[in-house]
Amino acid sequence: MTGDASMQPTRDPRATLPDLIEVLLNKGVHLNLDLIISVADIPLIGVNLRATIAGIETMIEYGMMQQWDRDTREWVQRAVRTHLPLAADEEILAKMAGGHYQDNFYRTWRPGSAYLTTQRLIIHRRDPAETLWQTRLDAIASVSPLRESSIGGEERTRILVGLKDGSEAVLSALEPDRLISLVQARLGRAEGASSSTPEATAEDRPLREGRMWFLETLSTGSTWRGGQAQLSNTELTWRSPMDGRARVRISPEQLLDIRREERSNPTDERRVLILETADSTITLAADDAGAWFAGLDKWRTGPGDRRSAPLEATMSPGRNPDDRVGEGAAPWR
Amino acid sequence: MNAEGDMLYVYAVVAGGDYTPAVTGIEGSALHMVGRDTGPRAVVHRHTRGPFDGPDDSVRRWVLEHSEVIDDAWQNSPALLPVSFNVIVRSDPETEATATQQLEHWLDDSAETLSRRLEELRDTSELRVELSLDGSLLEEVYAEVGDMRTEMESRPAGVRRLLEKRLEKTEKEIIDRAADRIYPEIRARIAAHCLDIEEHRSTSRESGLTPVIMASCLVRGTEITALGAELTALKKAQPALSIRFLGPWPPYSFADVSIGKEGNPNGSAPDAPTPNPQGERT
Repeated sequence: MTGDASMQPTRDPRATLPDLIEVLLNKGVHLNLDLIISVADIPLIGVNLRATIAGIETMIEYGMMQQWDRDTREWVQRAVRTHLPLAADEEILAKMAGGHYQDNFYRTWRPGSAYLTTQRLIIHRRDPAETLWQTRLDAIASVSPLRESSIGGEERTRILVGLKDGSEAVLSALEPDRLISLVQARLGRAEGASSSTPEATAEDRPLREGRMWFLETLSTGSTWRGGQAQLSNTELTWRSPMDGRARVRISPEQLLDIRREERSNPTDERRVLILETADSTITLAADDAGAWFAGLDKWRTGPGDRRSAPLEATMSPGRNPDDRVGEGAAPWR
Repeated sequence: MNAEGDMLYVYAVVAGGDYTPAVTGIEGSALHMVGRDTGPRAVVHRHTRGPFDGPDDSVRRWVLEHSEVIDDAWQNSPALLPVSFNVIVRSDPETEATATQQLEHWLDDSAETLSRRLEELRDTSELRVELSLDGSLLEEVYAEVGDMRTEMESRPAGVRRLLEKRLEKTEKEIIDRAADRIYPEIRARIAAHCLDIEEHRSTSRESGLTPVIMASCLVRGTEITALGAELTALKKAQPALSIRFLGPWPPYSFADVSIGKEGNPNGSAPDAPTPNPQGERT
């Protein structure tokens, strides 16, 4: 750094106190001794500080619960139970910001969180705690996206839930399509493809998605991290549910080369994927690395073949490649 | 019933050695050590009531006092595992083992795991790195939105309100796209200085800032300067970045150890080990 002093970390308590408190309530060793009165998941403290454990809940937002050990799952379930009553055998599968459209005397959106559990779909507000709407999954007849124009002209996707008693509810969710597909998967039925993703986003609809491992380089070696990969017409992304943003984001133009190599990795497939871009080498592992390789190879080699990549049945044609130039390809500045 | 007073409040686990606390604990409690001289030892105070509970201001003060004990142990012992706030060990009414015996057994049973993790954490610090984008300083925001804003001024109030909303949304999207674009390289450059890195989802405390990465970094003492230099370089390359760089702290976020219950006579059935997606090293 020519001439620049390097940045120094600060320990000034005025700046760091909230961070320190958060970290001490959430982190540190939890002795797994049966004879402990209280551990940090149930800190018997004032209401405002207790809200900091809400951070834990965000960790279930990505439906990664299956990956966790039993202790962590129980810990999260307990944390949620403090404000959302659940049946003894009921587990939370997904959570995201959401709301319920109330349509009686007042027509208004009531914001909260959408929870999908093994038994129910719930819109629940945490503070003050109130369940705004809920249904048992076995009472759901249909769930589908609803396109709606809001004030200001922007289009939004809402969720229309049809119940077996003939009534309907309109919900909102941060990721409506994802919630819909999760509910549908839970209902054990795939609804007609025509009713799903709205056209406006068709070109970014995933061509392929699935669980994938990313090899991250740290100061003393590298670590495999689990996450979700998604391939659309315009980009390949990989993101860990623990991270704020996608660690991999490349366009077909940026992908210079792709090859497979043998390397120890957490999957049963020994040959990993190596992706070369102008400024990085990305190493990925997946149980279905072979299919990913074929898909990525076609994706990279041009729009002509793109349509025949291993895709879902319904897919709109890719955009003109000229339109894509420059998008997502801007170098770091 | 066992005696109410026979409890131990635990602050930290330190590696074997001759560390003796030089500070007092929460509300001036006297500290002492539990455990064998050679193995991992716990910093504790004798506790006579339930968990600390009270108004937020009191909790804040207690948490700070808790952290001061951890800090002292961190600076004066070879390695340390911080223990969460309000972890209290009591005696066992069935076996009549005292709290001290309970904790000693646990330290013995977990010695191997604890020692291994303590060794890994030797000479490490936690640093918190928070990088956000300030939209008002971002060139592409100005390039794409600047003209629209000027043009808007000449419109009637009603139209202006509508446009204002649309403009805000466009601006937000531009900043978010920029954050998405720069994130992979930023994460890679920061991670290269870390033994471990863990992100938080906490939203930026300051409005007008779009978080790019909020992370706890586990670093060797010698890497702190290098990480600082990396952040300086990132800021230089993208002046719209706003950076918070906090620490060094004891490795709070990296103290997790998975200790099986096999060794614990009171333990329930051992958990089936499940691979941790975050932790597999090559």
